Amino acid sequence: MTTEQRQDDAPRPDEAAEKNEPNVTSPLAATYFTDFSWMKRSRQWGTRAPRGPGGLTLEAINIGVYGDLPDDWDEPSRMPRGTYPVAGAVPLGPAFISKKSHQWADHAPQLYEESISRRWSTATDVPWETAYDLPRDVELAMCQVATELSHIGSIEAEVVSSWLELLSYGYHEVKLCLSRQVFESARQFEGWRKRALLNIPELGLESPGWANRMLLESRVGWTETCLALHVLRGSYLLTLLRYLAAYGPSEADRALAGGMVADKARHLAYGMEHARYALGSEPDFRDSWNRALVGAEAAVNRDEDDHVLQEALAIVFGGGVRGMDAGMQTVRRMRRDWTRAYLARMNWIGLDRDPWLTARMRENFEEPGTNGTADAAGEAAG
Amino acid sequence: MTTTASEPTAGEPTTNGAASNGAQPEGPFDELMSFAQERGYKLDWLRKAEIWGSGEDSDLSRGGLLLQDLAGSDPAEVPDESDNLTGRPRGTQPRKVAPRVGNYRVRTKSDIWLRNAAELYEEAVQRQWSSATDIPWHTLTELPDDIEAAECKLATFLTEIEFVAGDVPGRWISEITPEYFEPRMFLISQVVDEARHLDVFRKRALANGGGLMERNPRAGSDVFAGTIDSARDFTEMSAKLHISGEGSVLTIFRMGERMAYNDAEKMIYRLAASDEARHVAFGVMHLQYLGQTMPERREEIHSYLDEAERGLITGTNQNPAANANPSNAALAILLGGGKDKIEEGQKLALAMRQRQVKEYVQRVTVAGFGERFEEGRSAGEMLRAYASA
Repeated sequence: MTTEQRQDDAPRPDEAAEKNEPNVTSPLAATYFTDFSWMKRSRQWGTRAPRGPGGLTLEAINIGVYGDLPDDWDEPSRMPRGTYPVAGAVPLGPAFISKKSHQWADHAPQLYEESISRRWSTATDVPWETAYDLPRDVELAMCQVATELSHIGSIEAEVVSSWLELLSYGYHEVKLCLSRQVFESARQFEGWRKRALLNIPELGLESPGWANRMLLESRVGWTETCLALHVLRGSYLLTLLRYLAAYGPSEADRALAGGMVADKARHLAYGMEHARYALGSEPDFRDSWNRALVGAEAAVNRDEDDHVLQEALAIVFGGGVRGMDAGMQTVRRMRRDWTRAYLARMNWIGLDRDPWLTARMRENFEEPGTNGTADAAGEAAG
Repeated sequence: MTTTASEPTAGEPTTNGAASNGAQPEGPFDELMSFAQERGYKLDWLRKAEIWGSGEDSDLSRGGLLLQDLAGSDPAEVPDESDNLTGRPRGTQPRKVAPRVGNYRVRTKSDIWLRNAAELYEEAVQRQWSSATDIPWHTLTELPDDIEAAECKLATFLTEIEFVAGDVPGRWISEITPEYFEPRMFLISQVVDEARHLDVFRKRALANGGGLMERNPRAGSDVFAGTIDSARDFTEMSAKLHISGEGSVLTIFRMGERMAYNDAEKMIYRLAASDEARHVAFGVMHLQYLGQTMPERREEIHSYLDEAERGLITGTNQNPAANANPSNAALAILLGGGKDKIEEGQKLALAMRQRQVKEYVQRVTVAGFGERFEEGRSAGEMLRAYASA
């Protein structure tokens, strides 16, 4: 068979099937189907996707019509992109987010494959035995930190999964990429839960919940949620995880946080790429997004101002209660680092946050580092 | 080894540390508290907690530190009902100021629970695989046109239905209170499994000189009620998706070696079957739990199974082995070895269908609803006809 376009003139298969429709409730029904017109119905026969060093990837199969990404996907059913269409398919219930600009990120397929190729397990890839005999104050502080991170992971899985089915089937790469995010948020939940309960039979206090609420209640659009979830809170979490990967009190803590740094960096990469793409497509949203982010930042700041996590981190970073002063300096550097990184990312996206920043937000990055040593430690965490 | 951290209690932080209430430090930990509070730290969140001996009690030699291993050290029993509206995971200490965000529909244990969800989740994590690198794509060789077209047709069908199998569990994740996080974690693992199936069948269609074919002509035709998509009760959805729908697909995957023409296809079916078996197990174990704990719902569950069985028999175009449609013809061509051997293939397809029915009956029986096959419920006779044809 050659690489012909199989747009045939045969009868529609459903018409033909109906003519020959057997009694499908008969056990022998299947023997009656003899219409083979379907064999000619392919929009691009002769497709042979190339394999590369990373195997056969999602990106590699986006060739010809299968890689055509329309700006709008107006098919209201689950038709896979590139399949031969059928007239009269019944639409599905949810109102799909059908615009490419409302979900797309150019490297979503690569992020999906990377997530799979870097798969890991909190059960077996963390040297848990290295975290058995920490000082009691440090252990209790880690339990609190782990409890809050676990709670945040659980909420993030809820947030992303609640959007999944609303995203259009025409851009399945985004769905696949985000399904991995849900899985990795679940890993954040269970990994930190394991850590919290490793040596103590109690979990700590729940997260204050203001940023969680902001993310769960963000229903205006996926892009707005993306900005708040991936770029804003993602920047905060990525920095926190990096600091734990550097200052964690045991090899297990550092390995757990380090594994999640890679996960979180992918989430952030999707969010940044998507938001930039969206803004490039619809620049009129710039002011409304800037305005909306003021409230989102306030929610993150409100959580950040909670003394419970601050003190727990100060104990962890300072090596114990007696090191809390030094630990608190590290907490302040962490605030500065995540805020600077966040603002830089927003600039890359095309959102200049400077005119919109609240005094509280400015406190984070305008607070001077204590000294050069502190900055060096911050770089180590980065 | 059990030691106790001094003073402050769980709950909303207040200033109640050891030093601030005038008590004299009683030990090293109290001294630490005093030290910190003199410097302006509250530490009111440092609750009185027993140090759990140590994690040395954990046996990491058998699969590492597993979610189910935490059960013994997790003091929070799984409640029959949940009034947790702040989204905190089970056992987390509540805060009085936390906002209510959890508009969870599933807040009754029996509606979602099963005894081995944590085990199924951990197994899913351990058995993650990559469609890019774990399939020996280099073993694909040029196939006769009719075989390649049939492969592509079946792959197109499977890639489309995997959308359903991913989206529907995904929809339920945020509807389930994190009080019951184990089944929720399993559903999350299912979403990524189905994403992988979607992607591997799409890749197969586009890897060997073929292409995606016509979509399923009647996909989504049952949109009004009684479907996997429309179910508003979790157990109804699970019975139809996990036991009936995925059970049928599992049979197809398990017989995949009969219709595979190279090692790449064999590996696809083998790995996908391993995933699908977990999904079916989830459905069976949940139905079993519900049947045992909520006997008043048994008749209602039977009515869902009635609907599922009607689908199993007529196929409703979601089962290539069960209906006369292009996907069925493709299956027969693959099983028979070519278009000219389709009659032989149809016999094998019928055997596949018989096996689907027999396995379905076995699963429903294991779930504790086997009496329906003895009581002459609506589809029983027809099921027997399929099983014995």
